[in-house]
Amino acid sequence: MKQNENISNPAEDENDEVLARATSGEYKYGFSSDIDTDIIPAGLSEEVVRLISKKKHEPEWLLDFRLKAFRYWLTLTPPDWAHLRIPPIDFQAISYYAAPKAKTSPKSLDEVDPALIDTFNRLGIPIEEQKALSGMAVDAVMDSVSVKTTHRERLAELGIIFCSFSEAVREYPDLVRKYLGKVVSYRDNFYAALNSAVFSDGSFVYIPKGVRCPMELSTYFRINAAGTGQFERTLIVADDESYVSYLEGCTAPMRDENQLHAAIVEIIVEERAEVKYSTVQNWYAGDAEGRGGVYNFVTKRGLCRGDYSKLSWTQVETGSAITWKYPSCILAGEGSVGEFYSVAVTNNRQQADTGTKMIHTGSNTRSTIVSKGISAGHSENSYRGLVKVAPNAQGVRNYTQCDSLLLSDTCGAHTFPVIDVANASAVVEHEATTSKISEQQIFYCNQRGIPTEEAVALIVNGYAKEVMNKLPMEFAVEAQKLLSITLEGSVG
Amino acid sequence: MTAAEKNFGQYSALMADFNGQRRVAPLLEKLSQEAAAVLPAAMASYRPDPMGVDAARPDKLFAPDYGVNLMRLGMPVDAASAFKCGVPNLNSLLCVVANDTFHSTTQLERNRMEGLTICSLNNVPAALQSKVYEVLTRSLKNSDPVSALNSLLLNDGVLIHVAAGVKVEKAIQIVNLSNPTVPLLSARRIVVMAEEGSDVKILLCDHSQTDTVEHLNVQLVDVDVAAHAHVELYDIEEATSTTRRCWQLHARQASNSHLSVNTTYLHGGITRNEYHVDVPGDYAHTELSGLAICGGEQVVDNQVTLTHTGKHCTSHQLFKNALFDCSRGGFGGKIVVGEGAVFTDASQTNRNLLAGDDARMTAAPQLEIYCDEVKCSHGATTGQLDERALFYMQTRGIPSEEARRMLTQAFMVDVIDNISFEVLRQRIHMLVEKRLAGAGASCGSCAAGCHTDESAQ
Repeated sequence: MKQNENISNPAEDENDEVLARATSGEYKYGFSSDIDTDIIPAGLSEEVVRLISKKKHEPEWLLDFRLKAFRYWLTLTPPDWAHLRIPPIDFQAISYYAAPKAKTSPKSLDEVDPALIDTFNRLGIPIEEQKALSGMAVDAVMDSVSVKTTHRERLAELGIIFCSFSEAVREYPDLVRKYLGKVVSYRDNFYAALNSAVFSDGSFVYIPKGVRCPMELSTYFRINAAGTGQFERTLIVADDESYVSYLEGCTAPMRDENQLHAAIVEIIVEERAEVKYSTVQNWYAGDAEGRGGVYNFVTKRGLCRGDYSKLSWTQVETGSAITWKYPSCILAGEGSVGEFYSVAVTNNRQQADTGTKMIHTGSNTRSTIVSKGISAGHSENSYRGLVKVAPNAQGVRNYTQCDSLLLSDTCGAHTFPVIDVANASAVVEHEATTSKISEQQIFYCNQRGIPTEEAVALIVNGYAKEVMNKLPMEFAVEAQKLLSITLEGSVG
Repeated sequence: MTAAEKNFGQYSALMADFNGQRRVAPLLEKLSQEAAAVLPAAMASYRPDPMGVDAARPDKLFAPDYGVNLMRLGMPVDAASAFKCGVPNLNSLLCVVANDTFHSTTQLERNRMEGLTICSLNNVPAALQSKVYEVLTRSLKNSDPVSALNSLLLNDGVLIHVAAGVKVEKAIQIVNLSNPTVPLLSARRIVVMAEEGSDVKILLCDHSQTDTVEHLNVQLVDVDVAAHAHVELYDIEEATSTTRRCWQLHARQASNSHLSVNTTYLHGGITRNEYHVDVPGDYAHTELSGLAICGGEQVVDNQVTLTHTGKHCTSHQLFKNALFDCSRGGFGGKIVVGEGAVFTDASQTNRNLLAGDDARMTAAPQLEIYCDEVKCSHGATTGQLDERALFYMQTRGIPSEEARRMLTQAFMVDVIDNISFEVLRQRIHMLVEKRLAGAGASCGSCAAGCHTDESAQ
């Protein structure tokens, strides 16, 4: 009897099976490691801000910065303009500091907590292997405090500074003080103010004049302890005629309650320098019913201050229950270039509102935006972008393309671009399309012996290729895998 | 409390005092009372549209303290000198709205036909009362303070009702004239109801006769397109720099209906046009297009919300702006495709020509899609005339200025060609040409004209 049913409608059954497999698939990185963590009680007040600063032995000026940000934050309310349904967040129920208990500062891998090493191994990023094989310098960040930095010596020879934020505050206070908050002010928005008040750690990169960083710099973020927020702060300064490619990858273990992540990334690009910033974001997205998952509220912005400088953002967003993220470029230097390449995938009950801002204040500046949204399940995926041309910016050029792919009849795909041109010599173009994978394409693949599930992955990968190609090699493989994992079987 | 909020409060208080004493039909009195009930909530929920052009935002438009003509005092309007639009002699069914009061014309009276009702909202035939009221109250459900205010203050308006199956050959022309002597807010309303299988073409002309007195025209056009009906609506604005225009279209389309709306902006002060089109019917088609030529400090903002909930519907939007001097243009286009609106095919295009050094354009083309079986696209560009084309023309002996004019005209052509109403299309071609040549669109040179129609007074 059962067999008969199968014969009567094999395609449907196959689809069901594929769907079932995809939806029942557990979060690959959903585990939680037992490491001694030093957590301060939940809640946010001036005392907490002082305590964080004290625990990190910070100088007076940094405490002042935090306090100013905190007092300003008190006057703000969370932004609600995004196309997102954000359940009210109780900011007093979150612990604002969690640091792995450092017995002593680790000098080599042997001194690092074995459980932590194991965590990274399970994540598929063995530090040793990466060191040897890919030649990457990994600044592994776990629960807000930078644990281990590799390849420091090699970079130091070139004069490149790549260290944790707190270390930078200790060792290079003048540099940090000069650039901190210059691109993303603590008055920028609600989450930027919050981060400025309570940021725990992050990465600091300084590339001196004329230096081309010989390897990809990389940071892995994870949220580990339950009920703790992660407030990272990254500051990258590329001095004249330098080059750096920076990778940021995120995976977070499975938790039932929502976790808050509010990071700031600031990038300063000086004359003729180039910064390439790539992200693969795979925070826990919650289960099929939308329980749990990370809230990702990130402020990322780069300032192309020098003439002929270039900043390129590439992101692959597959995780998080809620993503609120707009990596932006302020193109102030004459002839500077901004790029934004994004693939955002949402499945189940995920919500993403992401895009970019290209602010052209310098003459002959150019920007390119390519955004590919893929939505499946009951998810909502929005592109939100701003291209602004200031009155004095002559000869500005922008090209924007944002496409959406719909994989189910219950998901949403939205585009909210704003184009504001105040100079008559600018040429600004925007185009967007929305479509679904056609049955013909799937049929064509099936016909050639490619199962539906693989066909979808194939088509989606082809659709996202334009962006994937922009990722560094090491990352592209991981990103492609993520894309397939997130979407397998989501045939509409 | 912003100035606009304060004014809204004043208008409501004023109306409450005047309750029942206005010389309006019970229909409008009832509408006013219903509007008064929803206005406070609408005001509370109002948030300035972040995408729109600042100067044309309702909270800015309503900030000056305008007077309202509650007692319906007659204000002299010189209809003869008003016809500057140069769209003469269309042999149309003409009626005139002076400030906010409806006037019929001999042209209209002579051509009355069976199945077509054109009348003041104060004289709605008894048979149509309840239907008209339903259409009038639709915009109140949007909790938008501007449409609520219009309903609150409405003294008069125009009803165009086309009975089932009636095809109106001649175009219906409604000429809005403003000639206030004091800063005045005129609430205008046009209700268009096209019953099943009917066909109607409507031309709206907006004119002002004063360039010294600032005045605000709040006009709502409610359009109800029944199944298989065909409605074309053309709007020409040819006003003065002291004109503030807040125009809203509220349309609903049933299955297999066709609606096309075209707005042409030639002269004005600050203009905000909102298009709210709901398409719950299946297999309906919607065309929205607009062109604006702005100079000086003129501001034009077109904001579109097109909601598809029916199946197999198609829609096209095409908006073009040419911005000279320090004018400002805005475009916000939102296509919403609801769940279940399968096989929707919607496209939206916005092209802008920035020709003035201090001109500025803000565009926000948006898509909100909740259904997978759709084809949606939008495109927006802002740029200049093609230098190579200009050069080519100059090498052929066409002076630079003229070449620019020709290319700008050519840039506008596809919007004008969207007008399927032959006579009007030619007129608008001519008007755009004249406008680009810098001349006021006075119809002095026009041979024949509707301005010969004395009865318009």
